[in-house]
Amino acid sequence: MIPDLQQVGEAQTQQWAPEVNTPVVLLENVSKTYGKIHALSEITLALSGGVTGILGLNGAGKSTLFNLLMGKLKPSSGSIKLFGTDPWKNPAPYARVGFVPEHEKMHDWMTAHGFVSLFARLNGLTRQEAKLEADRVLDFVGLTDVAHKQIGRYSKGMRQRVKIAHALVNDPDLIILDEPLQGCDPLARTTIMNVIRELGKMGRTVLVSSHILHEIERITEQIIILHNGRLLALGNLHAIREKMDNIPHTISIGCENPKELAKDIINNDAVFGISFPSGDNLQIQTHNLNEVHKVLPSLIVENGHKVYSIDNPDDDLESILKYLTGGLA
Amino acid sequence: MIAPPKKDNVFRALDRKLGAVAEFTMRQYRTKLSTWVVLGVGFIAIAIIVLFYVDSMQKEIEAIDNDGDSADWDGDGYPNGQERIYGTDPDNPESHPGTFTPPIAPDPPEKWINEDDFDWDLLATGDTTVGYDDDGDCRLADTTQSQKDRNRNNVNCDIILDYSELRGEWLEPRSDGFVDEDPDEEKYSKEAIHRAFLLAIGKMGFVFLLGIFLPLFLATGLIREEMENSTMHFMLAKPIARRDILLGRMVGYLGIVWPYIIAMGVIVGLISGFAGPSDGFFRFADLGMWMAIIFATMLATLVYGMLFCALGTLWKRGIVLALPFAAWELGMAILSFNAPAASILRFSVIGWSLNIIDAAALIVWPNLGLFIEMGLWGGGGYNSDFWGGTQLEGADALNAFASDTGLGISPLATIVVSTLVLLFQASVLWIVGSAIFKGKEIE
Repeated sequence: MIPDLQQVGEAQTQQWAPEVNTPVVLLENVSKTYGKIHALSEITLALSGGVTGILGLNGAGKSTLFNLLMGKLKPSSGSIKLFGTDPWKNPAPYARVGFVPEHEKMHDWMTAHGFVSLFARLNGLTRQEAKLEADRVLDFVGLTDVAHKQIGRYSKGMRQRVKIAHALVNDPDLIILDEPLQGCDPLARTTIMNVIRELGKMGRTVLVSSHILHEIERITEQIIILHNGRLLALGNLHAIREKMDNIPHTISIGCENPKELAKDIINNDAVFGISFPSGDNLQIQTHNLNEVHKVLPSLIVENGHKVYSIDNPDDDLESILKYLTGGLA
Repeated sequence: MIAPPKKDNVFRALDRKLGAVAEFTMRQYRTKLSTWVVLGVGFIAIAIIVLFYVDSMQKEIEAIDNDGDSADWDGDGYPNGQERIYGTDPDNPESHPGTFTPPIAPDPPEKWINEDDFDWDLLATGDTTVGYDDDGDCRLADTTQSQKDRNRNNVNCDIILDYSELRGEWLEPRSDGFVDEDPDEEKYSKEAIHRAFLLAIGKMGFVFLLGIFLPLFLATGLIREEMENSTMHFMLAKPIARRDILLGRMVGYLGIVWPYIIAMGVIVGLISGFAGPSDGFFRFADLGMWMAIIFATMLATLVYGMLFCALGTLWKRGIVLALPFAAWELGMAILSFNAPAASILRFSVIGWSLNIIDAAALIVWPNLGLFIEMGLWGGGGYNSDFWGGTQLEGADALNAFASDTGLGISPLATIVVSTLVLLFQASVLWIVGSAIFKGKEIE
């Protein structure tokens, strides 16, 4: 590895000021290759404000993208700007950035309070300021009670929240969360989702990655879909969904009497096929998911069917990817 | 929310970033078992050397009657030396100072052992002829003139000391007969062994062993371990330059290693101060030596720490890269004992570190070279050529561990220059290490 001697920038928090008329995150034709493997190719992206979900299967390039943003990797080509500054050359923008890495490893021997206040000091706070700041952010993620316990004794969800707390130090404008919900129990999931939504409401720019569509859906509608290192889609999740309405969808309904329900629903134009996988289950094939979802509730109520569940088994990231790539996923 | 920034003084500025990294690093060391193992092994290694030293200080050194004048050939109760002084016949039991009026009492034989010790203090006057015939056997009337002035400088009963500028060392003393020929073995040997110990433990124990061993195991992973553990992500996501992270980590490492070295130096210094030969209860004279040993070791751990940390950052198995350097330094250490002026030593860390100790030895013990030569000569074996060598114990060891500074400048200047060179080496290695770290992509 030849040292990059051009990377001479120093943390100059005092002098550094974010550029005003530029997006918080700006990527222009960014590619990252390892030999012949393209981890990311030709990504162009500008983000400012609000929560953006980054969706992609494992290995789609989500972590590579974040590592590039966090100045841990150098782009093979293209340019990256955070607040108008190249993070590989100058770590100063990180004064305004909070990062929650995906990695499990933490300094288990530290207390949450010690951990957070340490990194607050790296943000340029003195020992005293850092302690107050740690109290504040740990309260924000709801860990005040256990703040002085060792991180090693925490559950997965609590560790995840410590990481989020450490990222919120100094009240950053840009928060990047790499798979923050992975491995968390439902309660921790809800807490973390609430925290992220809260940050979005506060006007922060939040980037959150996941490979599970429903998780992201509960947090935000603004999504970016990465696939094999390429930017596949960018925009509102519902808009993408609507485009998919014209392709066949399956709706799975768990109910007491599937045959009766089938009789009522077969008349609808949008439905073109029905099957009975089991005694208390009904599957409907449709081209127009929206239409079916519109009529289904009233139909059930009017005819007094007992329904346990309505599921869209193919309404997940894989099927969106399949659609967007034309079946190549 | 964040309070409006106050104006920073030096301490407040240090309390931020750099101080945080250093403090974190120190706390991290304390939680690691490996740290305590490394420090413990270092302690044991030094303790073993100290045990050998304490043992040799307890050992009785046999007093030898080098000139044989404590013997009583004729069995009249008067040692030969006493009889010669009074002019009686040591071979005739009827002839002894007891027949004088008033009669003179016989000396106990011990009085004629080690009775003609070194009288080399004259050196202080800048004179290079020394020696005094304490037992008077040189000045006797029946000692021939060729014996009295064997070195032919027209002064009877003295020793001429010659310094060879060419060889950079003292030549064998040229002595008249029967001068300083029965030295006090114990007095010389204890002093020589003590000095040899200080130089040996200072150079090999502290500067080489601790100086390389501690950084090898404590500094090599300073950056690398954080990279491998993925915990570096947290630090890199903060507005702190990688060069400052490296510096903060180094400061934390020194925060563990330097107090340890100082503590070890103080402990061993106290032990040797109480156990070593001295007029009082404690050898205060060595204070300068211990300061130099501690100082040189601190500088060595700084430079090696920077070096090994950089190597660890460069490659996962940095310790493999570090070992050839350690071997090179060992070679240079051995070389410095025999050829302190060799120019290849300038391309080492240890050469400069050892210079500091050698220079300090010359300040603390002026005329160290002469002291060594004194022991190698050892009274000259009855001051005649056919008695063979009478080298005193400890002289050889001291000769092996003491060496010139090799820079050809005064000891004080040597210390200053060596310190500056070592600091320069550390700075260069810091810049190189930072450049390597900055260029590293971290997954």
